[in-house]
Amino acid sequence: MSRSVQALVLLAGLLAPVAGAQAVQNATLRRAEQAYDNLEYRQVLSLAQAALREPLTGPERARAYELLGFTYGAMDSILKAVDAFKQVVLIDPERQLDPNRISPKAYSAFDVALRQVLLVRQLRVDSTTFVGGQGAVPIRFTVTQPARVVTRAIGSGGSGRSFLIDSGAWNGQVNLRWPARLANGDPVPAGSYTVVVEARLGQNAFSGAQPIRVSHGAVDTVAHLTALPGYEYLPETEIPPQSWRPLGLAFLFTGGAVVGTLGLESSNLGSGSRRELGVVGGAALVTGFVMTLRKPAPRPAAANNLYNRLLRDQIARRNQDIEKENVARRQQVQLTVAPLPKPSGAAR
Amino acid sequence: MRRALAAMGLLTCAVPVAHAQQVTIGPQFVLASYREVAAGLRYQGTGFGGAVSGRLRRLSAEASVVRLTLDPSGGGAATAGFTATEVNAWVAYDVATYASLEVGIIRRTADPELDAQSVGALRIGARSFTEIGPGAIVLFRANYLAAPQFSGGGRAPFSLELGLGLDVRLAGRLHGTAAYTFQRINRKTNPGGTGELDAPLQETVARVGLALGL
Repeated sequence: MSRSVQALVLLAGLLAPVAGAQAVQNATLRRAEQAYDNLEYRQVLSLAQAALREPLTGPERARAYELLGFTYGAMDSILKAVDAFKQVVLIDPERQLDPNRISPKAYSAFDVALRQVLLVRQLRVDSTTFVGGQGAVPIRFTVTQPARVVTRAIGSGGSGRSFLIDSGAWNGQVNLRWPARLANGDPVPAGSYTVVVEARLGQNAFSGAQPIRVSHGAVDTVAHLTALPGYEYLPETEIPPQSWRPLGLAFLFTGGAVVGTLGLESSNLGSGSRRELGVVGGAALVTGFVMTLRKPAPRPAAANNLYNRLLRDQIARRNQDIEKENVARRQQVQLTVAPLPKPSGAAR
Repeated sequence: MRRALAAMGLLTCAVPVAHAQQVTIGPQFVLASYREVAAGLRYQGTGFGGAVSGRLRRLSAEASVVRLTLDPSGGGAATAGFTATEVNAWVAYDVATYASLEVGIIRRTADPELDAQSVGALRIGARSFTEIGPGAIVLFRANYLAAPQFSGGGRAPFSLELGLGLDVRLAGRLHGTAAYTFQRINRKTNPGGTGELDAPLQETVARVGLALGL
């Protein structure tokens, strides 16, 4: 381990007790923590038990039992450690221990304690957005013992409508999906709700709660397409390769005029003037030569035009489908579900 | 001459209304050579004129008016020159992307009137044209001259005209034009009822000019 990492670990070890000491106001409990840090286990037991006889806040009481659990675990009094941890999780069901920072004995005692009391822990409702009728709200929680579990969403405010989400026998990690719909298929009204999970095993019962907010919104419509991904329009004209065709055509037309003139000349009138034909024929040949040297004019690319027409037709058909889908989407409701902060003492 | 100018003006006014984008009009410089009756009676000269052309879908029209001053060629028998005014007109219908059928008229009048034959005839023929480059069109035409009329009388059972044309877009709406026409008229006369005599006419004309697209 490098020096820097060792320094970080040491710094963390120093800061953690400071953070715990700030949360603890009771002097006896603070002394118990100091005794635990100094490995004076007998003193920890007497001080923690003394603290429990004093008025403590909920977190302080949980901390006192936690110190007892750790200490009993260190002293190999596993049953007592389990009892102490039971008190911890009953006070604070969400309490988690880090297996990397505590002894295996204490952690196994904590685990046994969790399985000996009925708890609903780690109730989570994930933020989600979906179109009403086409999605569901994910709900997760853990039941520490096999129990009959009823999950409801209870509306806040005057109406206080209750929607049954699930009812069944569960143990361990539970994943539920709530479609947030009424019996007639409509989405549940917008507003604040509390997801309540009630677990019952014989005479024992425990419940957890998570407030959520359900809001309604318009469903996003799909934008019309102007192009298909991966398919580009091709140029509608193409430049043919350079050729001697212009000069050839000029020769052909001029040659026709020359041959026609020579053939039609009257023998009675003698050989005619070539000046006029020379001027115009020469101009045609020069033009043909220049056009041969110039870049040819673009001409329509039939295959490209056919491809472009097919592409345009395809995009038009897709846009018609999108328009139909948008008509349906404008009649739908988008549900947004977001968890709210839990009020203190949500579980019992 | 006045009637010719009036007809050309009418064409200029009428065609732009039909399709303003494909009308051209412009001046022309003309070279001409003219022979009549025998090898010795030959003239050469120059002149000026104007031409207008228009197109409406597959229908096109073209007209020109030129005034020529023809002088006797060296070594010829002619002693005096004359002035000729020539009016040409064609109306063509495209039967393919490279060919048209066309009809038209020709009227050439000589001044003084008796110094050369004045001629009028109908044209019936065809032309072929093709684009040899961006904005450059070359054409070849062959017309039969039907029902010719001569100021000195006579008839012409066989009369032909060949033409070579060039139209090059120089810049924007400015075109350069060149047109060559060879005309052979086998005129026959019967002076005093003594029997028919050959009195052929032959003319070559080169018209070079500019045209502005309207």
